Formats: sequence, C-alpha cells, structure tokens
Amino acid sequence: MGKFWVIFVASILILLPFLCNSFSPDTPTDRRVLVLLDDFAIKSSHSSYFNSLKSRGFDLDFKLADDPKIALQRYGQYLYDALILFCPSIERFGGSIDVAAIIDFVDSGHDLVIAADVNASDLIREVATECGVDFDEDPSAMVIDHTGYSVSETEGDHTLIASDDFIKSDVILGSNKITAPVLFQGIGHSLNPVNSLVLKVLSASPSAYSANPKSKLSTPPSLTGSAISLVSVVQARNNARILISGSLSMFSNRFFRSGVQKAGSTTKHEKSGNEQFLTELSKWVFHERGHLKAVNVKHHKVGETNEPALYRINDELVYSVEVYEWSGSSWEPYVADDVQVQFYMMSPYVLKTLSNDKKGLYSASFKVPDVYGVFQFKVEYQKLGYTSLSLAKQIPVRPYRHNEYERFIPTAYPYYGAAFSTMAGFFIFSFVHLYNK
Amino acid sequence: MGRASSKEDVGALFRSLRSAYAATTLNLKIIDLYVGFAIFTALIQVVYMVMVGSFPFNSFLSGVLSCVGTAVLAVCLRIQVNKENKEFKDLPPERAFADFVLCNLVLHLVMINFLG
Repeated sequence: MGKFWVIFVASILILLPFLCNSFSPDTPTDRRVLVLLDDFAIKSSHSSYFNSLKSRGFDLDFKLADDPKIALQRYGQYLYDALILFCPSIERFGGSIDVAAIIDFVDSGHDLVIAADVNASDLIREVATECGVDFDEDPSAMVIDHTGYSVSETEGDHTLIASDDFIKSDVILGSNKITAPVLFQGIGHSLNPVNSLVLKVLSASPSAYSANPKSKLSTPPSLTGSAISLVSVVQARNNARILISGSLSMFSNRFFRSGVQKAGSTTKHEKSGNEQFLTELSKWVFHERGHLKAVNVKHHKVGETNEPALYRINDELVYSVEVYEWSGSSWEPYVADDVQVQFYMMSPYVLKTLSNDKKGLYSASFKVPDVYGVFQFKVEYQKLGYTSLSLAKQIPVRPYRHNEYERFIPTAYPYYGAAFSTMAGFFIFSFVHLYNK
Repeated sequence: MGRASSKEDVGALFRSLRSAYAATTLNLKIIDLYVGFAIFTALIQVVYMVMVGSFPFNSFLSGVLSCVGTAVLAVCLRIQVNKENKEFKDLPPERAFADFVLCNLVLHLVMINFLG
C-alpha cells in the first residue's frame, strides 16, 4: 500500500512541470501578471478592465504597492510575466521592488503598464523617465483643453478631455476603428523626438496645455498642443512592451460606461471609446498581437534542395524564411509584402523584397554578385507596432575555378582564326621558299 | 611651278621604285608577299578589336603578335638570304632558313598557349 502511494505521488510530481502555464518563447503571451495598487478600492472601481484581462486568460495577482512581501523574482527566477502599476501616489515600493528591479524586469523581456495621475509621486515619474517618457515637472499640473473637453454637467474646469487623436496603426489599436472619443483626466507627458522606440498612441489636441487648474497661470505653460502625449507605448529592442498612461481614471468603470460628447461637435456617443481603446491596447502590450517569429531560414541553389557550404560568384540561389505572428493562442502565418533580404558584406550588394505564399513562407531568388568574400543573408525587419526581426546567416562566396571559365569565347574567333592562318601560311611559305629554284 | 614639279617628282619616284622592284629575284618577292599577308592579317585583327572592344585581350594580343612576329622573322630571313647584301655574305642561306623555321616554331607555340 505504501509503495503504491509513493509511486502515485512520484508520477504526479513528474507531470507537474507540464502543468506550469507560463511565458516561454513558444507561447509569448504573458500569463501571470502582478498588479500593484494604491488601495484595494481600485480593484473594484476598475473591475471592468481587470475582468477583460481575466477573460483572456491572465492570472492577476493584486497586491498593495507597499506590501512588504511583494517580490518580482525569487532565487533568480521571475515570478511574474508582466507588471501593472496602478499606484500613482506610491512613495516607496514594499518588499524587494524598486526602480532598478522594475527596469531589470523590463530588460529581461517582460511587459509593463504604468498609470500615473494627478499628484503622481516622484517614484512613478522616475520609472516613466527610465522608460523614455517625461511627465510634466509641476506635480499638480493636469492636461486642460478648453476646446476639446468633454461636455458634462459637473466637471467645469475642462480637465476631463475627450481625445480622438489616435496613432494610425492597426496592429496597436486593432482593425476596428474607434468611433467614440476617449475620456482622459490626468497629467500629460512629452516624448524625446530623438527616441525612436517610443510612440504616441493618444495625443492631445493642438489646443491643450498642461497647467495647474486651480491656480492662475503666471508663465506660459511648457507643455502645449499636440506635443503632449496622453498615452504612449514603448517597444524596447528586446521586444518588451511598455504602456504609459497619464490618467488612472481612464481605466475606471465610470469612464468605460459613460457617454461622451466632445465640445464643439454635435454627436453624443452613448459609450466612450475607453473600453475598446484600452482593451485593444492591452492585447498589443501583452503580445497577443504584433509578435513575430522567423524560423526555418533556408537557402540553396536554384534546382537543388541541399544547403551548400559556399557559393560561387554568378550562381543563382533561392533564400526562404517562414514568419509567423502570434494570435494570442497559436502561431498564424504573417502576411506582408515588405520583408526584405540583403546579401550583405560591409554594404548590401543585393536587396530583394521577399514574396510570400500567404502561408508564412517568404522566398526570393537572386544572382550572387560578381564579388567574392564572406557574405551574410540579413533580414532586418522593423515595422511600427511589430516586434523587430533580425536574422543573419553567414555564407562564403568563392571565385571561379580555373576550369570554370568559358572555354571558347565567340568574340575571339577571329583571333583564333588569325593565329591558325598565320601558322598555315608559314607552313606553305616554307615549302615554297625551299623548293623554289 | 613648284607644285607641278613635285607631282612629277612623286610620279618619277614611283616609276623608279616599280622598275627597281621588278628587278628583284622571285625568291625575295615571295618573302615580301608573305610579309604583306602577315601584316594584312594583323591589321584586320586591329580593326576588329576597335569595332568590338578588347574583351579577351589575351586572345587579341596573341593573334596580333603571332602575325607581327612572323612578319619580323620573315624580314630577317629576307635580309640574310639577299645575295646583294654584303653583311651576310658568309652566311649560308640554309642556316638562315633553319633559324627562321626554329624561331617561328617557338613563336607559334607560345602564341597558341597565350591564345586562351
């Protein structure tokens, strides 16, 4: 009986690793998410957003931000795949989390969602600055828009704004157009124009500015117009995605359910665009859309199937690669017409656009240039909203062997003829000269 | 007056050249014919190269050089065989012809190799 139990428990333990349903390169969608809150009232006031995440299969772990027992990693292994910071006023994180730990978390490829709000603490501002986004330095400033505000009976200081200035990207925002404007009430941030990794997803209208609504303006505001970004995303070079929003209340149930009418327009929308906007955006941030992988790089001479160790100049070759996109549950073929391959040695000698067969197989055929050396097949693909593909495969190219040159060159036939006719002439002449009396 | 006389001079020059040349032996005339043939072949090749371009340059050089080389050797033979030439009085004409044949053999061997 004892032996039976031992075997039973051992077999269960052997199967345990397969029950873990976590982040891995084969299933890039995050599963375990740590949500840090200022207080648990946010859990219920923002329950629509959290429920939409749970319904897509995420395990949300709600903790207070100053809980002394929170940790992102233990014994070198990360406990979570993504982090949501809904704690704009936290001064110091509890447990072993601090700014450096959060940055390490992102650097190791995990995703991050940060929501700031009015009176955001320096800690949250510091995390955002590390991610590439600068909030307004005035701690009590909010984004005010006197021509793009949302018409309502109560909010009179025009800090509740309705914005529909979205980024034009179907990958990030989904293929359905967001018709209603998005309600926003919070602080704005600006992006460094040199930074190429950060994108403005929702910008303020040209008439917005960032200032303290309760005090009179003494100097012109520093952040104005469309330079103010309300919601931005960052896609790091290791393909970790970060969402930074200046308003925690835009995630709330109240904003999700309320109707919206933008000042100056007569259409009154029954439901604001917040729910659709944030749900689609969260799909992108958690790698359910726009995550590519490239596998099966193959190259061979036209007409053969095996991959040679080196090519000869002026060979015709075929290069193929398979690119798939993660759809949230499986890898689907990626269809696009702008993936290019370079045949590169210090500079691209050949740049060819790969043609695809709609099932994810991209191929191109070209002639090896008339230069020998060590080349690379390079695919560098960077498209807005998609993970970047960077493949390189080295291949040497040799010159002609001495018996691979053309044997009889047609252009040179007159020269061959002249040489032989001279020989014949010499032969005949020598006979004539000898036997001439 | 000067022009008419120079025209007459040129005509007189040609006539004297032709009559002097007619007096040479048949032997030497055959050698001259051979030289003319070789130079003519070389000229054809140069004209062809100018038209088409010098792509297999080694073939062009080989063809032209075989013609020009054999012409030069034939000129040497003519000098050595000519009985009126005081310098080569003691040289037997068979010796001159043997030199000619040997040099031509070497020349054509090298040129076939260079023809590519």
